[in-house]
Amino acid sequence: MDNLKYLFAVNVFVWGGIFVYVFSLIRRNHSLKKDLDLLKETLKKDSAHE
Amino acid sequence: MSDASQKTGGPGYGLMGLTAATVLTALGAIFIYVPTEQTEGIVQRIMYFHVPSAWIAFFAFFVVFLCSILFLWKKEREWDIYAHASAEIGIVFCSLVLITGPLWAKPIWGVWWVWDARLTSTLVLWLIYVAYLMLRAQSEPGSIRAKYAAVIGIVGFLDIPLIHFSVLWWRTFHPDPKFITTQGLGTGNTTSMNITLLIAVAAFTLLYFLLMGLRVRLERMKDEIDRIKKERLYSH
Repeated sequence: MDNLKYLFAVNVFVWGGIFVYVFSLIRRNHSLKKDLDLLKETLKKDSAHE
Repeated sequence: MSDASQKTGGPGYGLMGLTAATVLTALGAIFIYVPTEQTEGIVQRIMYFHVPSAWIAFFAFFVVFLCSILFLWKKEREWDIYAHASAEIGIVFCSLVLITGPLWAKPIWGVWWVWDARLTSTLVLWLIYVAYLMLRAQSEPGSIRAKYAAVIGIVGFLDIPLIHFSVLWWRTFHPDPKFITTQGLGTGNTTSMNITLLIAVAAFTLLYFLLMGLRVRLERMKDEIDRIKKERLYSH
């Protein structure tokens, strides 16, 4: 029974680690996409003014 | 719009769905389908995380090796992006190998770590690619950084054959390969163990491609932002 808890803890640790990495990538992707869209919008406004 | 902006799409929902389904199937196989191994007991099931992590780490570093050669040959930024992305993912899976290994070893061997050839050469591999990522993080972006990184990416891969054959060449605590054996594929395991291992490897492989899609997209967006900023700077 103790070993089952141990295996469960290892499993949670492995998948937890993978999900933390996946979500950090998704978060960084969203943040950069926002920056990129903002930059493109600014560029469009600038070219409309000229 | 430029080529770079067209390339900033990430992995599709199809790949995400397939990965999630395969991961769930793998978990089902690991905890329900495969019978408990008689000698090591339930703890032996850690193998189904440990071995696929090792395979994917090696595969990721092989991609770094291949893309680094292609970068040095063709001088195209695209190969540098793939090498960088694969190195980061390789480090994640190599870290999982170095963590799940001691977690498996403690109840079986009675110790967390021994400095035998397999464990030490795997730690060296991890350190090489950590150095690779540190070099990339600490130096100015450009072709010089990419060239130095490519050289480390190629040289670092030479440690992998050493890791694989270490258990055959030297006396080690680490057991011999159970799937790729001298007697043929999968002869060291039972059929249900091989099936479970293959499902777990498939799940980790799909996860690798999903992560690659996300990581490559990130790098392309960074390039696109840099390009727009430079264009704006020079236009004013």
